[in-house]
Amino acid sequence: MTITRRDVLAGSAALATAATMGGSASAQTRAETLRQVTGNAVNTLDPTMPGSTREAFGISVNVYDRLVSFGKKKLGNGWVFDPDTIRGELAERVVTSADGMTFTFHLRRDAKFHDGAPVTAEDVKWSLDRAVSARSLAAAQIQTGSWTKPDQFKIIDPFTVEAKVDKPDRLALPNLCTLYCIIFNTKLVKPHMTAQDPWAQAWLKDNAAGSGAYMVESFKPGEQVVLRRNDHWKGGEDGKPAHFRRIICQTIPEAATRASLIEKGDADIAIDLQASDVPTLATRERVKVVSTPQFNAFTMVAFNTQMAPFNNVKLRQAVAAAMPYQDIFKAALFERGAALFGGTWTEGPDKAVFPQPMPLKTDLAKAKQLLTEAGFPNGLDTTFSFNVGSAAVSEPMAALIKESLGKIGIRVDIQKLPDAQISTLVTEKKLPFLTETSIAWLPSTDYFFRNFFTGDQRWNYSSWNNAEINALTAQARFEQDAATYEKLCKRMIAVLAEEVPMIMLWQPNQDAVMAKTIDGYVYGYHRQVDYRDMKRV
Amino acid sequence: MGLAGLIARRAGRRIVSSLPALLGVVVFTFLLMRVLPGDPAIFFASGPNAGQAEIEQIREQMGLDKPIPQQLVLYLRDIATGNLGRSMTTGQPVLSDLKNRLPASLELTFVALILALSLALPLGILAALKPNSIVDNAVRFLCTLGVCVPTFVSGLLFIFAFYYLLGIAPDPTGRIDIFASQPPVVTGFLLIDAALAGDWEAWRSAASRLVLPASTMALFVLAPLARMTRASMLAVLTSDFVRTGEALGLSRRRVVLVYALRNALLPVLTIMGIVFSTMLGANVLVEKVFSWPGVASYALDALLSSDYAPVQGFVLLMATIFVAVNLTVDVLYGLADPRISIE
Repeated sequence: MTITRRDVLAGSAALATAATMGGSASAQTRAETLRQVTGNAVNTLDPTMPGSTREAFGISVNVYDRLVSFGKKKLGNGWVFDPDTIRGELAERVVTSADGMTFTFHLRRDAKFHDGAPVTAEDVKWSLDRAVSARSLAAAQIQTGSWTKPDQFKIIDPFTVEAKVDKPDRLALPNLCTLYCIIFNTKLVKPHMTAQDPWAQAWLKDNAAGSGAYMVESFKPGEQVVLRRNDHWKGGEDGKPAHFRRIICQTIPEAATRASLIEKGDADIAIDLQASDVPTLATRERVKVVSTPQFNAFTMVAFNTQMAPFNNVKLRQAVAAAMPYQDIFKAALFERGAALFGGTWTEGPDKAVFPQPMPLKTDLAKAKQLLTEAGFPNGLDTTFSFNVGSAAVSEPMAALIKESLGKIGIRVDIQKLPDAQISTLVTEKKLPFLTETSIAWLPSTDYFFRNFFTGDQRWNYSSWNNAEINALTAQARFEQDAATYEKLCKRMIAVLAEEVPMIMLWQPNQDAVMAKTIDGYVYGYHRQVDYRDMKRV
Repeated sequence: MGLAGLIARRAGRRIVSSLPALLGVVVFTFLLMRVLPGDPAIFFASGPNAGQAEIEQIREQMGLDKPIPQQLVLYLRDIATGNLGRSMTTGQPVLSDLKNRLPASLELTFVALILALSLALPLGILAALKPNSIVDNAVRFLCTLGVCVPTFVSGLLFIFAFYYLLGIAPDPTGRIDIFASQPPVVTGFLLIDAALAGDWEAWRSAASRLVLPASTMALFVLAPLARMTRASMLAVLTSDFVRTGEALGLSRRRVVLVYALRNALLPVLTIMGIVFSTMLGANVLVEKVFSWPGVASYALDALLSSDYAPVQGFVLLMATIFVAVNLTVDVLYGLADPRISIE
């Protein structure tokens, strides 16, 4: 074969065209791609794996569907999930029986898994059986909605599933909305089940078998996850596939780098920048900031009520009166959140919602008097602990608390502990006085009290064991009458205000910082980005 | 016996004699991890509603429910079979994590070391030729600057200047443009893989992302290399054979670069070995700042969450590399100065 001059010219012309076309193709990809930068890493594709990170939750929300999910509502300047409206995801409709104990799910006929197989009642049954039976995070969560055994789920026909609880539990349906109740493609999963691993937990950690809006294109644990749109998915509110063709969720440990990436337009969204960076970014106006109060989370200061000296109610009240609320709200959080102090009620709250502002304010004279009444006229020594991971907020907080308590004679030693160590000490209930931020996925008052103020699990930070509260929460859980439920909840809140096992400080904002062209961010119960709602406009 | 055979025998003996040291490192790290405060099972069970049952389950998964001596024996058995355990942080086997991430760290370290040497050797020689001159003082200033600015500060400064303000550096995240196609993995070294695949766009992307982190590291290790070159050159330049060479009328260039430098390189080689090993571990801040998927940042994350397996695996890896580097240095010694034979 001889190569003529003409061939060479034609060849280079073709190359040149290819080059320009390549350029435009990648530019298009960029516009159709959403790049999220996060501080932590995705460590599993199965969110029920013990140890899964919040970032892993975020990915799974988009890869898997559930039977039902929460609606959304407006709060502040953004959208948040609405725990009171429940809409279908894989279920076209849900019929709840009159006694509130039976739920019938009618599946969408057109719902398909990523491999094209239809979603059937059999898949749903297997997945829910897995949620209650496998040794995972799911079982612990959904038993708060009375889901405990496989017998509760029944196949009626190929597209209908019935789920039953023994008592009408207020949280039965909301629990099925959480990311633990995901529906798996059993045809894909079953070949990977073994005698030691009957629920294919090892395989699902690195492989996805879902029907959600996005499929996993590549998963590099600790670095990044790339998702590709599932064009057959129609589970959105408007019955259309998701907007972005591709999603990149990338781990960038340095918060400053995440901030500059967003500001330079190289990344599209971040939800975990430093609180102090956010106001600066907002004023420079190259990005959009959507700040929504995390209305299901709270930052608090807890006392160990089972250990001296804080088993003394008067002493706890004294400390509560000496807390420099407004100062720490300003110095530690830059007031980026909703305050949970400074409530004006005295006898009982006006509303049954929780958390809500508690009637606490700084009053050093009263604090001094309460301290004397508690039997500590000369004050006392104690330690105040927080985890290193939250130092940006907790460090100024601790300093101000130390200063303010010092004024009434309480000498505070500040103890800063690594995350693993503080988790251990909190679980073992060895810290007298500490701060933490926590969250309840299903923000109903009785759920809050059940999780954070009763029992001996880690989340009862103050190890509070109050007979009245125990009785009230047990009753409220199954209470069907709205007025009675409200009365029970108000009483719980009043007792909490009186006994102060824990001082509620604030609900921090979730600051989602994004490119100006990005729209549709909704604050979810999982505190992650739901890509299905996101658009570029 | 030929030179190659001699080197091989020497190397073999050295590897065998370093085994007890490696074993010691393994046992020591194992025990150290267990006396550190913080229970990993509790940490990893910190999801919503995780209770005692979940904690027990993780403890069992990590093998922490057994007595420590038994854990140690099991761990040694696992290592012997090439199993370094599973990381709770990434959910992957530690061995595959390290295998994926080591090339990233090595690539960065090699490039940084080459960069540092190509600066340090000429600077050191220049400083030695004119001691206490302006050049010498300028070199001293540069070295002091490099060593006293922590890498995360210089790294962030570089990012701020070259990416944020000037916009000439690519976004400082990872080894290659996230929108570019990755060359197929052959060696794990992106520059080599891209070149093998003939994908020059990927090569450029990878190379441009190496510039800032490698410069940060190079600046940090410039001082020991340049100072050692200077000191050792100074000593050699005053020795008899240099004076003889000059008296015989050899050109200054030939005397300095051939006779003096070759003799002055021995201590520099030693320092190079040490610098290389420390760089691999000290990379951690650079890896964090530039989101570099290397082994050092991996180990740090694991340490913060009391994730035993990756930390132990990392320490073992570092110890092995240290042994290998020392061996290489010894072999290079023999090549630089045939009079030296290490037995």
